[in-house]
Amino acid sequence: MSDELSALDPSVQDVIAEARRPVAVDASARRLLMEAVRAEPRPRRAPILAWFVAPKRLTMPPLATLAAAAGLVGIGVIAGYTINRDGRAPTERASRAAVTPQLPDSVVPRAIKFVLIAPQASQVALVGDFNGWDTGATPAERQPDGSWATVVTLRPGRHVYSFVVDGTHFIADPAAPMAPDDGYGQKNSVVVVAGASS
Amino acid sequence: MSDAADVQRVLDGDVDAFARLVDRYYERCARFAVRMLGNRDDAEDALQATFVRAYRSLGKYQERDKFSAWLYRILVNQCRSIASRRSQRERVFIREEAVLLNAPDRSTSWTGEDEELVQRVLAELDPLLREAFLLKHVEDMSYEEMSALTGVGVSALKMRVKRACDRLKTRWEYIKDE
Repeated sequence: MSDELSALDPSVQDVIAEARRPVAVDASARRLLMEAVRAEPRPRRAPILAWFVAPKRLTMPPLATLAAAAGLVGIGVIAGYTINRDGRAPTERASRAAVTPQLPDSVVPRAIKFVLIAPQASQVALVGDFNGWDTGATPAERQPDGSWATVVTLRPGRHVYSFVVDGTHFIADPAAPMAPDDGYGQKNSVVVVAGASS
Repeated sequence: MSDAADVQRVLDGDVDAFARLVDRYYERCARFAVRMLGNRDDAEDALQATFVRAYRSLGKYQERDKFSAWLYRILVNQCRSIASRRSQRERVFIREEAVLLNAPDRSTSWTGEDEELVQRVLAELDPLLREAFLLKHVEDMSYEEMSALTGVGVSALKMRVKRACDRLKTRWEYIKDE
């Protein structure tokens, strides 16, 4: 018996011992369950995840490798020029047309700032359907007032998201509407990004 | 074969690999659902919804999470939904005896009076206290695992478990003396 358990009152230990006994469930229930599962369409890997987990071999001749490396450096330099000195991307302040002139207003991405007040947290990240719920993709930055903030560029439409505090605690945005139950015991929030004309 | 390997097999189209996952976790999940919901009918509904939902969503499962923790998150949520629907239709908890008459193997589960008493005292707990108590002391989870699963902070969970134990002690002694 663990120390934690032995420290409990004997009557509580009795309840625990009894509650730990296996329960009998009708054997037909398990059979019906598997019948229901077999009637379901075959589950498929999430498309983005499938691409990342699928083994890939990339072979390039040496010159092509050099060219690709130079291209990546070029992208980095261009990206560096397009970020302001205060760290904000131009979509936060410039006209949308200047960023993506070829897109209609209804699909022009907009920069959205997400803020969570969590002075006790040691790290906060933003996860959502826009970043594949990847806890490492969008870290928030601690602000002088104890809040955490990050800016994400989102296309118009409805997006579901949550904050992750200290790597494990999923916290819905207290300042936003709640999303319907996702079935995984997790509370999420919703942001609706309007198109430019709306 | 590991959970992760079975998950990959299911995603490759092998439904029998999912049957292995069901076999591996069904009894544990059944125990939690019965203790949480207080009767086998609702528990079976919760189990079916949980495993079907897990099957549908298996493509979103990520290996860095323990499969058992991911599955439990779905189960806990299904139990909450069913308990919520049940409270809306004001169904009374004690139907256990009638259901047990139909249980296929009473020898392994029905140990007499004590199980019924345990179900009674558990049913008298607030659902959030009952859930925390079961995850901690029956499913033997750490507070950190419980926190990741429920989204509730560790200190709040410790408080719920303590309050559950305090109430169980009082009620258990009272019921045993009845």
